[in-house]
Amino acid sequence: MFSAERGSAWTLAYPHYSVVVPQPDLIRVPVASPLQSTDTNLMRGSAFDEISFFSAIEASGARALLIGRRALVVLGLPVLTADYDFWLHSEDIEKLNEATKPFDLEPNRDPDDARRVGRYVLENDEHIDVLVSDARTTVDGFEVRFDDLWSRRTSVDIGAAEVFIPSIDDLILTKRIAARPKDAEDIRLLERLKEVRDE
Amino acid sequence: MSDGRLPSSSAVQATARFSNRRLTPEEFQAYVNAPVSEAEREEALRLIRWFKKRYPTPAERLAYAQRSYARWTAHRR
Repeated sequence: MFSAERGSAWTLAYPHYSVVVPQPDLIRVPVASPLQSTDTNLMRGSAFDEISFFSAIEASGARALLIGRRALVVLGLPVLTADYDFWLHSEDIEKLNEATKPFDLEPNRDPDDARRVGRYVLENDEHIDVLVSDARTTVDGFEVRFDDLWSRRTSVDIGAAEVFIPSIDDLILTKRIAARPKDAEDIRLLERLKEVRDE
Repeated sequence: MSDGRLPSSSAVQATARFSNRRLTPEEFQAYVNAPVSEAEREEALRLIRWFKKRYPTPAERLAYAQRSYARWTAHRR
């Protein structure tokens, strides 16, 4: 089965074939193609359209702050990251889920359960960690409130969309919540970034 | 090692547990406040300046992050 255009071209070489386009309903046929294990780009399918993803979140009106290493990259730190991390207002779970549905992202918890636990994951080929607590506590006992971070957020233009990220000092606070060794490293890098910004 | 090149899954899990553990307040402070040598500081600043010059817009930086992660996972296969 080919596209109608390719089928038309085929009939030039093989005139005994005809092109048939099913009407009124198009037939959807599952197709599988074998790939070499090294064809990682092809296996990822169409690359995750990050700009559209952020654009959909912005359009949804969900109060979502990009945190974690992806936010560090946006600000100018060349760090490696696999995932996306958001801190979301707990009332906006449904908005975010709806906005990310076209990207085949499936929540691992229903909204009420996510609110109870304080976090959930949106996942397909991509992995989106979503924090939905109203407040979290840093390793040294300081309470970090979403509303405070939201009020001090920075809007970053990424072309077709705006991404909201916490201020650098607030990003440092979020790093003190998880308090893993790599969070400490990230804080040291964020301190260097502040120096570059002040130049 | 399971095949002479790759670590076993249990070793990978143990390493992940170790690197993802939450530090105590004292440990965390020690990490964050560890002295930074001038050479280390300059290297970090040089890297940041290069990255921001090479990828001047946030969109370019995001695209870089996607590409570099794809490269990294490809090399691990």
